[in-house]
Amino acid sequence: MYLSISIDVSPRDGAAFAQLAQQADRIEQAGADFVLLAHETGAGTLEPGRLEAVVTLPWIARRLATPVVVAALPAVHSVPFHIARALSAADFLTAGRVGWLPLLQGGARFDAAYGDAYHLPPGDRVAKHDDFIRATRALWDSWDQDALILNKDSGAYLDSAKVRRVDYRGPFFATMGPLNAARPPQGHPLLVRDLDDVAGDDGAGSAIPADVVLGGADRLAGVEARGTVRLLKVTAATLEQGEALVRDGKADGLHVAGPDAIERVEALRRRHTRRPVTGATARARLGLAMPANPYSKKVPA
Amino acid sequence: MSRENGRLHLWAFLQGIGFFPGGWREEKATPDAVFQRSYYERIARLVEDARFDAIVFGDQLQGRDAAGRTPGRLAIPTLDPFTLLAVMAGVTSRVGLVATVSTTYNEPAEVAAKFAALNFVSQGRAGWNIVTTVHPNSPWNFGEPELLEKSARYARAQAFVDAADAFWRQAAGLPAANAADALRNQWFDIAGTLDFPTSPQYRPVLVQAGQSPDGRNFAAQSAEAIFCPAPTIDAGRAYRDDIHERARALGRDPSKMLIMPGLAFILADTEEEAQRKHRHVLELADDQLCIEYLSESIGYDLTRLPANQPFPLDEICAACEFPAEDVRRMLTPAVEAGLSIADACRDYARKPRGHAIFVGTPEQMADRMETWIDAGACDGFTLQPGYMPSELELFCAHVTPLLQRRGLLRREYQGPTLRDHLAAGSPA
Repeated sequence: MYLSISIDVSPRDGAAFAQLAQQADRIEQAGADFVLLAHETGAGTLEPGRLEAVVTLPWIARRLATPVVVAALPAVHSVPFHIARALSAADFLTAGRVGWLPLLQGGARFDAAYGDAYHLPPGDRVAKHDDFIRATRALWDSWDQDALILNKDSGAYLDSAKVRRVDYRGPFFATMGPLNAARPPQGHPLLVRDLDDVAGDDGAGSAIPADVVLGGADRLAGVEARGTVRLLKVTAATLEQGEALVRDGKADGLHVAGPDAIERVEALRRRHTRRPVTGATARARLGLAMPANPYSKKVPA
Repeated sequence: MSRENGRLHLWAFLQGIGFFPGGWREEKATPDAVFQRSYYERIARLVEDARFDAIVFGDQLQGRDAAGRTPGRLAIPTLDPFTLLAVMAGVTSRVGLVATVSTTYNEPAEVAAKFAALNFVSQGRAGWNIVTTVHPNSPWNFGEPELLEKSARYARAQAFVDAADAFWRQAAGLPAANAADALRNQWFDIAGTLDFPTSPQYRPVLVQAGQSPDGRNFAAQSAEAIFCPAPTIDAGRAYRDDIHERARALGRDPSKMLIMPGLAFILADTEEEAQRKHRHVLELADDQLCIEYLSESIGYDLTRLPANQPFPLDEICAACEFPAEDVRRMLTPAVEAGLSIADACRDYARKPRGHAIFVGTPEQMADRMETWIDAGACDGFTLQPGYMPSELELFCAHVTPLLQRRGLLRREYQGPTLRDHLAAGSPA
């Protein structure tokens, strides 16, 4: 059973740094499999937190040394080139343990802070969310997985034929590439989705399948189990039902929310031993396939 | 605080695998390690133990792919600077962490949020090397057809810094008298700032590298530390005097800004050995690598041309991605001297980016640095190891103790924040 939890900076600034570090250490000890750098409201809604997650991730991943660490980010305000670049580096420096969670919820404060041009009618938000994901992935695909050679003797650093411009053009984003960062060890960092988030916007869901999804039992029932890790959202009150649903194969693990989430994860881990950590990257450990690279031009051997 | 900090400040510019284009092929270079966390943790501790003010990483908003061909022999491990510095923050407690970020293809909200996070995870050690984007291919990555005109880039840069400062001030609960103007003007239409967690040193230290008159004015107006190339003492003094004069004209105290020229270096026990190492690292940049290197500076794929012929200037200028008149000015001397493409490219790759290069013993390097400081040519140096990590290790092991013995470099940090290390005082 996979266990997931979110981590956020405390609203009390004086001790916020020490508390965040201690919280991370405790979650590492507890044996969580996924840690979302996100703000979780009392109602269980996930939003980007006060502390920018993409910069925080490489720092906190030293303390969270084993789980997949997931950056929540505002989906319609982030820029594909910047995100692709930062998460490539983060995936390398964590040996392939990075996930990203583009969110629509919590977007209002980003609308105000980014400027009027970023304000979209609800119907366009899912379309821009999807376009953001496609553009970012296209930039990761501007490099083949095996482009780097690093041979000092021959002087070959990389294979020029394995890096190219992708000239991505979508309804909201256009980006040429190539990215100035290699394809991440996981190919693409794990795409994590809160099913309550995208579906909640105007009823129409994202057209792009995610690697890891979070949601209630109803929402998870609509997800193809193969090739997706399904995490059931639970609180202390719904924990037992949740364990039963995982036992019945309706979910692959639990995302635990609420004020005592760490205690719940600690207790769950005592009952459900962790799957052995094997495989080079998180994607491999979770049994998820490497994403195909549509831009790759494999030369026949 | 200034006296205890020492008269000489050190910054470490640790881009890629070091300064020389062929350096990645050196026996002691580690081109694979720059993709690993342990490498950054180790060099961060090394630099902090040697009492540098700060570590700096550069940045670009485009891949290297002149005319659509990515070089195969040039090392290009350009990992995101925020990511590297956030990793380094986790294993250090004093050394400053300076990220290069452009004001051209970003929004103040995003940049303010990222620096607030870097400043938070480092507890007050973030710095921002403010740049504008000039590479002709960068706009294509952001759905823009072409670059902003140059003076508009600097006008936007100043407005961008003012807007970001309004975000940080409001998050820290500091007075922000001009916030309304900073957030709504010809460049930005910002209705509300973001609520960041606060940390010591409410905003990053502002760093600049202005060269043109517009760039120098921008630096004199905002920067707490300034990078520049300075090949000679006279060039250094002229630059420093000029910046100080511009700062005074703007009503700023010039003693509140450090001038930090670049200094690349190769070290060895004897001068002969250092010269041999220098020759070797230049040889490792073979003709093909040097041709790729110059191709990247003009946006034209020279690898397709016969290397033993001179530049076909008209053909290149008609198709290059950089402004044709700049490229023509750059290549004409080689054409007039009758140099082949290979010879011209080799000359170009020998002196990357116009920075001063020191080759010699630790004692000689300490002498040189002391002479420059005594002559008023700078406040310290932005050091660029010839290749990584071994040249940095040599500096920290052999030059740092000499500088400390001479009373030029601090033995202990005087405070926890980057601004403490600069002794540049609290920003007004």
